[in-house]
Amino acid sequence: MIDQMESAAKGSDFDLYFGPAHSGSGNFGVKLKINGEQVVSAVSDPGYLHRGFEKLMEYRVPIQNAVISDRLCVLEALNWNLLHAEAVDELMGIDIPERAKYIRVIVAELSRIQSHIIWFGVLSIGIGFDTGFKLAFGYRDYILDLFEMITGGRVYPTGYICPGGVRRDLPDGAEEKILQVLDKIEEMIDLEELENPVFKARLKGLAVLTLYDAIRLGATGPVIRASGMKTDVRKDEPYEVYDRFDFEIPVRYEGDAYARFLIGVEEMKQSIKIIKQALRDLPDGPVIDKKLKKPRPKGKIPKGEVYVRNEVSRGEGAFYMISDGSGMPYRCKIRGPSFLHMIPVLEYLLKGVQIADVPAVYWSLNICPADLDR
Amino acid sequence: MASKEEVFLEKVSSKFEVEGKIQRERRIWLSTDKVNLIPLCTWLKGEGFIHLSALSVTDWLEEGKYEVTYHLWSYEDRILVTVKTKIDRENPVIDSVVSLWDANAQAHEREMHELFGIKFEGNPNLTPLFLENWEGPPPFRKDFNWREYVKEKYYHKDDDTERVYYD
Repeated sequence: MIDQMESAAKGSDFDLYFGPAHSGSGNFGVKLKINGEQVVSAVSDPGYLHRGFEKLMEYRVPIQNAVISDRLCVLEALNWNLLHAEAVDELMGIDIPERAKYIRVIVAELSRIQSHIIWFGVLSIGIGFDTGFKLAFGYRDYILDLFEMITGGRVYPTGYICPGGVRRDLPDGAEEKILQVLDKIEEMIDLEELENPVFKARLKGLAVLTLYDAIRLGATGPVIRASGMKTDVRKDEPYEVYDRFDFEIPVRYEGDAYARFLIGVEEMKQSIKIIKQALRDLPDGPVIDKKLKKPRPKGKIPKGEVYVRNEVSRGEGAFYMISDGSGMPYRCKIRGPSFLHMIPVLEYLLKGVQIADVPAVYWSLNICPADLDR
Repeated sequence: MASKEEVFLEKVSSKFEVEGKIQRERRIWLSTDKVNLIPLCTWLKGEGFIHLSALSVTDWLEEGKYEVTYHLWSYEDRILVTVKTKIDRENPVIDSVVSLWDANAQAHEREMHELFGIKFEGNPNLTPLFLENWEGPPPFRKDFNWREYVKEKYYHKDDDTERVYYD
């Protein structure tokens, strides 16, 4: 009997292509070697979404690049907007108006919340829990409505956070609407915690990433925080006005998929806390620097180079921008957190899991093919 | 009192031949020769720069050089150090830092090999990452004219709808 089983297992070696056109994978492929039900090895196969943004940006002025930077990650466009704007601000040596800083923080945190809601949604569908997916996308729409009101675009703000500040002031009554939506989001968090048993059953003990491996493989953001490292760019290296707010960095020590899920839930609560404080302290004044009010900036971008880091919802995002004084960046390196989460970390974690757990492991890393491929 | 950036810069200058500058709080830029790269990086890793935030390449066409940059973050000191080193553009070979930052550096070097054509000696896997069946030169080089390349490769002059690209 055992002999028969063994020979059957031997005969069941095969390659499985998970993605890039798979409903559970996003625009990204993983080549899996399977033995029976178990993954023997995994090789990431990116490139399906490669658009060469780094090169494109070398041929465009910052106001155009601000629009391109939306597309760096579909699910958190405003965070990438902010990162690009900060790089140009620093190159030009602009200190943006106070009110703009607060508005930037508010929209960036809203963007982080909706990105985490999507994370909950796709992780739900990754473990076959359809209701969670529908819940998530329903509640996400409240935030998209806010984005439409504030930026004019639901998913892509088309460069709302632009070099020098933000393009428009908050419309009348925006503060109350944001607070109303935050109430709705708290409802969503309650629901996430309510559905916890499903996640517990599927995710506990799955794909454990130790702190040693997390550092070795270059994990950042929620992934490394779930493995026991207390780090967050918003605290380590405060940008905009994050140093004025009171919030916690959630840390867990288990390092498994369930810990990562819990980090996501906790981070949404912290983001709500930040937005409430920012709305309370929101100062009056202009929202964009005088020099950059018009689409073509008056002063050219001086020569120089900057490395700007931000905490985007998936981890550490960074822009390395070099200017040669021509007005267009000479070189633009974009560091997306998913680059390392989807190549070394994913390949490492998928080894040895069951086929049915592949989507769960995959989505527990909160990944976005768009910022990997760029 | 000297800031932590100044203390660090003094320490590194006394040990290695580097040109260093402090840009602002938490940002230090170091330029060094290719021969010093690995000893410097090894020392930096020992000093707590365990996170390779990014590895980038800049193509300085007029100078005929590639500049490889390593952006290193220390979780303890909370400083970001960028190590820059220039290599010849015609023969772009540099030692790999895979032995220091493992799979993290491996993935970054693999990307840079594909986009700039730089050989990282000691990297076990430099197969293409993004591009499939790519026959052209490394696409992120400054002298690669992608507009011309796309025209030649993907558009047809005889096609009525695509002739506009040639006018």
